[in-house]
Amino acid sequence: MTVKPFQLLCPRELSDALATLEKHSGNIRVLAGGTDLLPSMRQRLFEPEYVLDIRQLREIQGIRLTEQGIEIGAFTTLHAIENSDELKRSYPLLVEAAKTVASPVIRNMATIGGNVCLDTRCLWYNQSLSWRKSCGFCIKKDGNICHVAPGGTKCWAAFSADTPPALLCLQAEIEIRNASSSRRVTLEKFYTGEGDNYRRLQPDELVTHIFLPRGSALYGGAYRKLRIRGSIDYPLAAVAVALKRKNGDFEDLRIAITAVNPAPLLVAGVQSLVNRAMTRERMAEEIAELAARTAKPLTTSALTPEYRREIIRVFTKRAVLEAAAD
Amino acid sequence: MTKQLVALRVNRRLHELAIESSWLLLDTLREQLQLTGSKRGCDDSSCGACTVLVDGIPMLACTLLAASCEGREITTIEGVTEHGALAAIQKAYGDWGGAQCGFCTPGFIMTVKHLLATTPKPSEEKIREALSSNLCRCTGYSQMYEAIKAAVEAEQKGLAGDEKNAPSRT
Amino acid sequence: MSDFSVVGKPIPMIDAAAKTTGAGKYTDDLSLPGLLIGKILHSPHPHARIRHIDISRALELDGVVAVVTGADAPNPYGILPVGHDEHALALDKVRYVGDNLACVAAEDSRAAERALELIDVDYDILPAYFDPEESMKAERDLIHENKPHNLEKDYHHVFGNPAQGFAQADCTVEGRFIANEVTHAAMEPHSTLATFDLDPVTGNIGRLTVWSSTQVPYYLQHKLSLVLDLPMSQIRVIKPLVGGGFGGKSEVIPLEIIAAIAARKARRPVKITYTREEVCWAHRGRPRTIIDLKTGATSDGRLTAVEARVIQDGGAYCSYGVVTILYSGALLGALYDIANLQYDGYRVLTNKPACGAMRGHGTVNVRFAFESQLDEIAAKLNLDPAEIRRQNLLRPPAITVNGLRVQSYGLPECIEKVVERSGWAERKGRLGKGRGLGLACSHYVSGAANSIIRSDMPHSTVNIKIDRDGGVVVYTGASEIGQGSDTMTSQIAAEVLGCLLSRVKVVAADTDLTPIDIGSYSSRVTFMAGNATLRAAQEVKRQIASAAAQKMGCAPEELIFRDDLVFRRDAQRGVPRLEGEPSGENPSRQRSRGRTHEQANTSQASVAGRVEGQILRGSLQQKRKEDLTPKDFMTFEEAVVAAIDFHGALTGTGSYAPPAAARGGKYKGAGVGPSPAYSYSAQVAEVSVDEETGQVTVHKVWAAHDCGRALNPVAVEGQVIGSVWMGMGQALTEEMIWKDGLLMNPGLLEYRSPSAAESPQVEAIIVESVDPEGPFGAKECSEGALAATIPAISNAIYDAVGIRLHEAPFSPERVLAALRAKKAAKPLNLTEGVDPTRPTRFREHGGALCFKQKGPERHELDASRAR
Repeated sequence: MTVKPFQLLCPRELSDALATLEKHSGNIRVLAGGTDLLPSMRQRLFEPEYVLDIRQLREIQGIRLTEQGIEIGAFTTLHAIENSDELKRSYPLLVEAAKTVASPVIRNMATIGGNVCLDTRCLWYNQSLSWRKSCGFCIKKDGNICHVAPGGTKCWAAFSADTPPALLCLQAEIEIRNASSSRRVTLEKFYTGEGDNYRRLQPDELVTHIFLPRGSALYGGAYRKLRIRGSIDYPLAAVAVALKRKNGDFEDLRIAITAVNPAPLLVAGVQSLVNRAMTRERMAEEIAELAARTAKPLTTSALTPEYRREIIRVFTKRAVLEAAAD
Repeated sequence: MTKQLVALRVNRRLHELAIESSWLLLDTLREQLQLTGSKRGCDDSSCGACTVLVDGIPMLACTLLAASCEGREITTIEGVTEHGALAAIQKAYGDWGGAQCGFCTPGFIMTVKHLLATTPKPSEEKIREALSSNLCRCTGYSQMYEAIKAAVEAEQKGLAGDEKNAPSRT
Repeated sequence: MSDFSVVGKPIPMIDAAAKTTGAGKYTDDLSLPGLLIGKILHSPHPHARIRHIDISRALELDGVVAVVTGADAPNPYGILPVGHDEHALALDKVRYVGDNLACVAAEDSRAAERALELIDVDYDILPAYFDPEESMKAERDLIHENKPHNLEKDYHHVFGNPAQGFAQADCTVEGRFIANEVTHAAMEPHSTLATFDLDPVTGNIGRLTVWSSTQVPYYLQHKLSLVLDLPMSQIRVIKPLVGGGFGGKSEVIPLEIIAAIAARKARRPVKITYTREEVCWAHRGRPRTIIDLKTGATSDGRLTAVEARVIQDGGAYCSYGVVTILYSGALLGALYDIANLQYDGYRVLTNKPACGAMRGHGTVNVRFAFESQLDEIAAKLNLDPAEIRRQNLLRPPAITVNGLRVQSYGLPECIEKVVERSGWAERKGRLGKGRGLGLACSHYVSGAANSIIRSDMPHSTVNIKIDRDGGVVVYTGASEIGQGSDTMTSQIAAEVLGCLLSRVKVVAADTDLTPIDIGSYSSRVTFMAGNATLRAAQEVKRQIASAAAQKMGCAPEELIFRDDLVFRRDAQRGVPRLEGEPSGENPSRQRSRGRTHEQANTSQASVAGRVEGQILRGSLQQKRKEDLTPKDFMTFEEAVVAAIDFHGALTGTGSYAPPAAARGGKYKGAGVGPSPAYSYSAQVAEVSVDEETGQVTVHKVWAAHDCGRALNPVAVEGQVIGSVWMGMGQALTEEMIWKDGLLMNPGLLEYRSPSAAESPQVEAIIVESVDPEGPFGAKECSEGALAATIPAISNAIYDAVGIRLHEAPFSPERVLAALRAKKAAKPLNLTEGVDPTRPTRFREHGGALCFKQKGPERHELDASRAR
């Protein structure tokens, strides 16, 4: 289907972009890499009157070393992330996760900000207008039923981006700006856990930067992604593990999961399971169990919920052991 | 919707086009410039048949707004042919069975062109990774690997098209 | 091999440059002045009666030129004469979500799409049927009124004495297998451009020209004639480049007729190109299939009887269904020697997109079951899987128990080759934990011996014309769809005429210009159109020979045509041997590893040689002008000139109809399955299985394929590799996911055709059995290999981890479910209640379409409401 006509705005200055967002607040969509927005607009999931192309905003591009850590402009491509020497050295987990996104060509286009803001996904939602008519629409768009959990009133579309679990493990913060102010929040606080209104972002706000704190630098880690094909696919379940060791012990272990809930989630209570008197294998299993319990997959994608939950368990255990072996 | 004048640089030529903001680069190339070599194979940015180079980087023409491409250098499959002759990779795809129905071929050629520009001697793993951006339904990709290896050798000897000195492959 | 100069050489496709430069035109690349864009309104309901369609609001929209509905073309059609159950646009009923209701022709896509929103349709919702076994119980609201119990067709065949055969068996195994639905997913979405001329006398609409992405231009011409009430002579169908078919374009697809109807009403050219979702709705793919299979064998592995009951979920229309269900039974024969056979096949209608022909038509899912069960028997009898297959080979020439004639039979050699190449004897069962090898075989027809149109006309006809300058033009109706049909045609013509390949031009698949060929399907083109080309070339060659012989003072039989020369057999030594590349083969393309095919020596060939050759030929002609009495040889051009001077025009025609002996038995349904020749394939797959995740990795497939003779080895290998790879897709990643008649994955993002990342190395091994009736001995190579891949992978999974899957694809959830069951691990509901080792029914996607009063409108008896 064609994209519904809109007016394209391509400001060169961030301040102009923010003013534009404020002016057309609620009736405007932000276009970064476009790899999710444009297919969605062709499916008529979004029909804004205005589209804000942020490609020319230099202020939100690039990777910069700062006193506090690393600052990544929201409009930095995933290709740039996976090829950044600084990130490879200090935050290899993010690089590993970025490398698994879709395909190399998609990563030439897609941005880290777009990945953080990626719309939640569901087989009942990411469909053409005529397809959605045939299913009577759904709670996320134009309808009153959630087909994957029909008894309730909540949308269960799955958050399906690869880099946010890595960013959560690295305790990333994001900078959010509007025309008059700027705020900085931990990424964890950005997501709501609701499939339809999945992020805490006001209509006049833009995610401008992502900060990786120095404290998270040099964490070891691993990202394990379930996909059917080795390329192109969104994750069907995935887990990121970040680990800091001290004298062979686990000083700090963080685990986050994605594609199995309406938000990427840090698995709570992990630290209480480490360094107890048990084998590393046993510890990894207990942590994996915790991660699997955190996952609430539903029939939003291919492969069954029970399978995806089981994979969270298997992958978590593997990723923990792998991170520990590094 | 009113149209706006956009200057698009495609295959080293500047075109002034009256287009709507919402037009995709792919439609603009195919319908306004009659550059029909870039194909539409899907509607969800998954197949890669429309791959073009934007400032030398492979991107999906179906996932770019034409108006966003103002000021960027776009290369389509029609811009790959060198001085009216087949580029080494085009010839190799023909020789080694890299193209069957040919519908995905322009997209693959663009992907591979970029691969060889950035990695003159790619490993098999690197080739596989690069090709994984594009879907082909005919070849199972196997014969493409042979084609790419042949093109690399031809390029390296600077003898693309000079069959007399073509490498014998054992 | 060295007896040939063009055939047997790895030659680039003659249209390769058009494809690698983007210059080649596919239908959607075409335009005409005044072109309108057509968009189709599809049904949101799986089964409903249409009360009323109101197009008035749509017609008022700016930019809309015409809106057509079923009333504009009420004649029914269908690809099979027994299955005329479709209307291009629904007349009174819609039968699946996606069925076609109306079409808007407008100045641009956007206007057409907006107009679709303004068409008002009033429905009576009917109960819908989604599961074939449920559908067969239907007493009311039938999908087609003339098909009781929604049964499209059933066949019940008994050959030999199955009861006696099972009584003789030492070991009998039976089980249910399920293969889920797959679709072609050709990279090019269907597209059609239709335009009418104005009649110079009446000023009214005159002749119709249609460009379409089709495998069957003549069938399209015929169906257009039926639906539009227009004589075939008034319809021209042209097939531009086609971006892959695999069977999905082997029948008339609704848009092809709708475009013509819309063009007629709009009086302007109309182009319709499907979205990927519409391609999935048009479908005609491989039906999901239930196979209840029982096989008996003696203790030494000889098969004593086979009994198969097959149910195919055919979707809402007949399509090729009657042929599909017959192939499933017929091709239980002709691979192995089976004396006693029982087959019960049921083609069932459901409210889903119609299934049709897909690569390996009808044989693939049954072959998965059969080859899996054969391994189960081998395991019980403690026999090697290769050995049990060797125990049951045919002894050709043979007529199978169900009437199929087998002449060339390269299966034994195929098995030997893959066993040897894969290191089967040393490696099987010894690859360590989680890794294994599996073997399976398959076969396929080289075209159907009986055409679906039930007439005695030749299946292929080819015309050749040669001009005074020696240019050879071959006119063939055969449809190039990427498989190399045009290249094959030019190779055969050049080989017979002994001329340079570059002299041959192919004009193909244009119903005004080319003689009838029934199309590119059932792997018939090389065998049938190839034979027709061979005969046409031989006819022209005879004319050239008679004229040349007269000039040279010898008998025509004494002449040899080769290397662009015509010379006397006894004078060969005196003939200047042209350096260079008579074949047109690309010398840089000597093959690398994995090559099993004997190569002609091409090392002397070079561009320089070609140039020298031309100079030499030129000087020969110069010399000839001085010497008017050719004795020993003539150049091809000279011989052609002599023939034209002698005969007038130089043209030839050849046609091919399968011989009576190959057309099979006389029983009801005997027409499907017979072929003049069968290809054979044996494969070994090496896989590893992650026992904690169920993920399967295919590391390598060795595929030996008996194609009779490889006319073009690079093309043959490409077809074999492509088939194996597509089989791997069906085995592991591809599956149409259904929920209450909705296709949950109608796009290439969610319908997962494998990417390069997980596609293994496939080693194609060519086996040449040289068929007595094939052109230069050639048979098919594009479909037969697919069916073996699925069971080869399944058998390899068994070898790796000891689980026997009865449901394809072997998705990680199914594999893990089986692994956990084997280990007696805590049961998890990994597969929506369907045990992949013992499936009883098709699985639906989870969740709910309707809940209480929410969801789309569906009939209260509809399955979606019942839950």
